[in-house]
Amino acid sequence: MYCANCGVKLEDTEKKCPLCGTTVYHPELSRGEGVPLYPAGRIPKPRARSKVLAGLSVPAFLVPLVVCFLCDQSVDGVLEWFGFVAGGLGVAYVTLALPLWFKRPNPIVFFPCGMAAAMAYLLYVALATGGNWFLPFAFPVAGGFGLLLCALVVLLRLLKRGRLFIWGGFFIAMGGWMLLLEFLLEFTFGLPFTGWSVYPLAVFVLLGGALIFLGISATARETMERKLFF
Amino acid sequence: MAKKKPLHWVKLDNAAKIYPAASSHTWSNVFRQSVTLKEEVDAEVLRSALEATVKRFPTIAARLGKGAFWYYLQQVDGAPALKEEQSFPLIYMSKEEMGKCAFRVIPYGRRIAVEFFHSLTDGTGALIFLKSLTAEYLEQKHGISIPCEYGVLDRKEAPRKEEMEDSFLSYAGKVNVSRKATDAWRLSQRDYKRENFLFLTCLKLPVKQVLELAHRYGVTVTVLLSAMMMKALLELQEEQVPVRKKQKRIKLLIPVNLRQLFPSESLRNFAMYTVPEADPRMGDYTLEELCGVVKHKMGTEITQKHMAGMIATNVKDERNPFLRVVPLPLKNLAMKAVFNRVGERKSCLTLSNLGQVKLPEAMCPYVERFDFILGVQAAAPYNCGMLSYGDTVYINFIRNTREGGLERRFAAILRDLGVTVTAESNFNGEN
Repeated sequence: MYCANCGVKLEDTEKKCPLCGTTVYHPELSRGEGVPLYPAGRIPKPRARSKVLAGLSVPAFLVPLVVCFLCDQSVDGVLEWFGFVAGGLGVAYVTLALPLWFKRPNPIVFFPCGMAAAMAYLLYVALATGGNWFLPFAFPVAGGFGLLLCALVVLLRLLKRGRLFIWGGFFIAMGGWMLLLEFLLEFTFGLPFTGWSVYPLAVFVLLGGALIFLGISATARETMERKLFF
Repeated sequence: MAKKKPLHWVKLDNAAKIYPAASSHTWSNVFRQSVTLKEEVDAEVLRSALEATVKRFPTIAARLGKGAFWYYLQQVDGAPALKEEQSFPLIYMSKEEMGKCAFRVIPYGRRIAVEFFHSLTDGTGALIFLKSLTAEYLEQKHGISIPCEYGVLDRKEAPRKEEMEDSFLSYAGKVNVSRKATDAWRLSQRDYKRENFLFLTCLKLPVKQVLELAHRYGVTVTVLLSAMMMKALLELQEEQVPVRKKQKRIKLLIPVNLRQLFPSESLRNFAMYTVPEADPRMGDYTLEELCGVVKHKMGTEITQKHMAGMIATNVKDERNPFLRVVPLPLKNLAMKAVFNRVGERKSCLTLSNLGQVKLPEAMCPYVERFDFILGVQAAAPYNCGMLSYGDTVYINFIRNTREGGLERRFAAILRDLGVTVTAESNFNGEN
């Protein structure tokens, strides 16, 4: 039997043409029943990600947690610093160990989760120490940094092209973040505004600008690839 | 009680070193060779034949061991159990499986298939193993006597030292050939979705028609089919990337059997490659032009001197005493990084031609066909293996994505030139 569309001869096992998908049919010829090249319906399941590491991570976090709890309580029966340790371990667990439980951990989901955990921890530290620096300083600084990193991860994950532009934009935004940091240090803690943030801003803008230039100019990109090949 | 003979072990050869490091939890570099008989395969006899054959091939019938600084291969203690055929070939081979046995024997209907992790051997070594296993099977099944010729080895003979040598080290030249190369167009760029299935399409062509066509173009069959593959790739890129300025080079990785150039008898990896290329930004290519490109590239590079230079470049790092003492996990990290950065970016796909398979006359009445199937690349969806047996050329395209435009174009080029193409697959057109 021949495929009516692409003209290739087909083995008797083929109900459709493997090249173009056209159904094999001839009104005057009956198709024989050939032995299939491979047995149907025997598809092994894709290999699952090992849960050993994820399982080991639980005692790895729980043991220091319990030890710290016992140590802190044994001093005078009151928990003083245990909360800080527990919070830190919690952030580390959410960031490092939690994705291990999932088959295909999506950084677009887990990265913001990690950032949210870190923010919650900072809020706890601020409340526990009675400092009033969370809302005016830690929230905008850590939040801004987290937002930038999340945007970078999302864009790198979703867009297959334009990586140089993404990184370029990220570096320029990091320069802006430096300015924000210095401004908030002055605003919250009354540190003198010396303008030190202009130097990292200049470096970040130059770096980001260079990457965007490479993204635009194919010739420059090719030259750099040639020079930096390893 | 007689003392048990210690099992052979060897260091990985130069080409084999990259494969364990580059393998991931979804990809392992495995290839398949199979022989289809004219009768149903008797699993009991095959098991017995395998037991007799594995002792003769201590570097192929082996497991992958892990040392502090390098991986190594160790002969398996007895034949492995036969595996059941699945709906597609080349199922992922995990490091645990390789640690027990790095090859599989899979009977199905009239077919005996053997799948090899690439660190064990190359296509030529694998074919010798398959032919010897088939000869042993036929001798046991039918009581015939098969002479040890055309790559059939005597299973009763002890393995020879020359068969186990790392020929890369023996034939490395004194001058290094640069490995610098430009990136090729990647077939995985558009809407690439990796499936949990390998789609296999086998195209069968009459040898006579292909030879006539090759003579018409004044080239060999390998050159002609490589040129056709490049033409198909050019057409595919033209469709997927219509803006000519944005198109990239079409490059085909063609493995070269170094035993044709050097007097090696090694059954381990001893192959290098040549990469003919065409830049579509320069304009359209005719098939004649592409034949010229491939022919001249192969002519200048498939020489003893050039290949010795390529080997020298590859073994340079292996000989560096400082790199040798780096612990294996660090070496793995570095090799994986290099593989991801460079490995498969320098060609669109591999087109491996084992050439004409010849058998001792006594075997021919029992054997219908041979097949050679490469695994897909780590990051790209396609690969292609071919060989000819009897009066047919068997070309096996494999891919892990539903889009099958390449083989369609390749078949169309052959059809337009008057070659009768017969197609079969493992997916019944359901893509």
